[in-house]
Amino acid sequence: MKPIREKRNLYALLFLVSICMVVWLATTFMSEAILALGAISLIFLLLLVRQNRLLYDAMLIWDNRILEVASVIISKPRRIKRNTEGIVVSAFGLIVGTEIYRWGLDGIQGARLHAVQIDRERIYLTFGDEAQTMRVELLHGITKKEKVLEAAQKLHHETGVTADIAGW
Amino acid sequence: MNGFKNLNARRLSVAAFSFSFAYLLSFLFEGQVLYSLLDLHGEDADRYILAAIIAHFAGLLTCGLLVRSQTAAKSMMLGSMGICLATAIPFFFDPSFLWMVGLIVSGYFSGCAVASWGYFLKSFTHKNERIKSCADVLIYSNLLMIVVNIVAMNRSPYFGLSLSMLCLVIGIVFTWMLPAKGTNQQEKTLKNKTHGGIKNPLLLLCLFVFIITINSGLMYQVINPAFEHQTGLVSWYWAVPYIVALAIMRNLPMKAKRSRILYIGMAMIMGAFISFMLLDRKASDYLIVDTLMLGACGIFDLFWWSILGEMQDYSHNPATTFGIGLSANVFGVLCGSILGMVVTSVGLPGADVAVIALTVVCVTLVMLPPLNRQLVLLLKSHVYLTAYDNMSQSQQTDIVYQIKTLDPLTVREQEVLQLILSGKSNREIAEALFISESTVKTHTRNIFSKYDVSSRAELISTLLKNQKIE
Repeated sequence: MKPIREKRNLYALLFLVSICMVVWLATTFMSEAILALGAISLIFLLLLVRQNRLLYDAMLIWDNRILEVASVIISKPRRIKRNTEGIVVSAFGLIVGTEIYRWGLDGIQGARLHAVQIDRERIYLTFGDEAQTMRVELLHGITKKEKVLEAAQKLHHETGVTADIAGW
Repeated sequence: MNGFKNLNARRLSVAAFSFSFAYLLSFLFEGQVLYSLLDLHGEDADRYILAAIIAHFAGLLTCGLLVRSQTAAKSMMLGSMGICLATAIPFFFDPSFLWMVGLIVSGYFSGCAVASWGYFLKSFTHKNERIKSCADVLIYSNLLMIVVNIVAMNRSPYFGLSLSMLCLVIGIVFTWMLPAKGTNQQEKTLKNKTHGGIKNPLLLLCLFVFIITINSGLMYQVINPAFEHQTGLVSWYWAVPYIVALAIMRNLPMKAKRSRILYIGMAMIMGAFISFMLLDRKASDYLIVDTLMLGACGIFDLFWWSILGEMQDYSHNPATTFGIGLSANVFGVLCGSILGMVVTSVGLPGADVAVIALTVVCVTLVMLPPLNRQLVLLLKSHVYLTAYDNMSQSQQTDIVYQIKTLDPLTVREQEVLQLILSGKSNREIAEALFISESTVKTHTRNIFSKYDVSSRAELISTLLKNQKIE
């Protein structure tokens, strides 16, 4: 959450600075520079809007968090990524550092959580839409069965997906 | 016995408002008496008319802030009518600044008086009868206006002004006779069933009213002056098609789909402007143009007045609801008038004026179906929600499972849906479930998607329209 917000603030600052510079250049009638900085401002604005949306989704995910875990392995087609910074599993997705993985945010058309498996060490989440399916492995670090059952129940309540619990 | 009392109170309130409204129509609000007086003294009519309309608009819009009970509404109506009476006196003398001051003050307070009547419409008329009360008020006040107009245009403007003031005095007497306290049990029962406010339907209705009224404003400024030379005919025939249309709409069976008649109204407006463009300025031409135009106005006016009447049940302050609804109408007239003034000041030929008017009609035509659909859905949802409240817990739960969804709802979505059906707003749902408002919005969007609907009103309609309402 924090890195996403910081990035948004950075874009906002850069946009503000670039706009100020455009205004300052306008007073000096340097049309080429105004044009170039205007284009840069526009890019920063687009980035700001994009990051703002990302932050909104991240906040939604954070507000509805179910689990905070120690590390994650994300397997995409032809790519495996490991991460160990601020990881949150929620009713609406997963926050991994500055990246978010969304599900259940766009109705029946968007990405959905398809399956959840929990064993003694890991949670396996499968999610995606018609075009792409992803699978993540989380090291949950939970030692008590009650905690696992509680997390599974929360997931079912919020997403409708029944977790497959094995090895407990 | 109680029904008899209600009937009498209803008649009394209709009479009180009809007489007061007749004063407004014949004098203050672009009335023929005012035009005749300004013409008699060679005064520039536009600035007086605009000042009165703007003040009236302000009065309608702000009345709800001043009036918060039926007793206060009665006092406001009586006080405002008294002020209007006093400010009409300078018009018996030569023009002075008192004319302008009088128009602004009486414009504001007449707006307050009109909006205050919302309390009496709610209190003394049963829900299904409100369309009749609204129609009665519009018919009687227009009949009175015709009498005043005939006198003002054919005898003397001062005589017309006197008659107009007499209407106001009779209105004061009837208002004074009105019971100050509401006798309607309905008021108490429905107060607890206010579902999530009426902000959205009211805003939608205002937009609807505003757009269709622009044509009326244009008509006042463009069509009327073109037939000024037909004084005798104009003085009595002007509002006749309007009254006939109101009478027809009033007496339609309750099951009739009035919203469909709106399209006939739109066709009539288009016909009026096309006729204005093609025909001459003879008496027979006036009959055609006026019949089409004012007939359409009657259809539209009763449609939105009656919806405004229905909305009173869901409003804590009828003066606010009624005032805001009517202010949209006045704002539409104002914009239309300004448009008309610009058109006439530039000296555009009749054909160009008709093209502008037809453009407005076309915009209205495009907007009418979706606006009408949303409005009907929102009002329906209020009706369904009230019925939902009367169902048992098990019936309420069954509803969620009876209608098939594109994808099963999660437990959380079911909880949110139950609260939506209870008429709760997003904020209230968030508080009830201890989640954020943006989470509620996301769940709501997902529910819409699963039921394949695009709005809360449509969702409520879909879920509850096939239920047995007891």
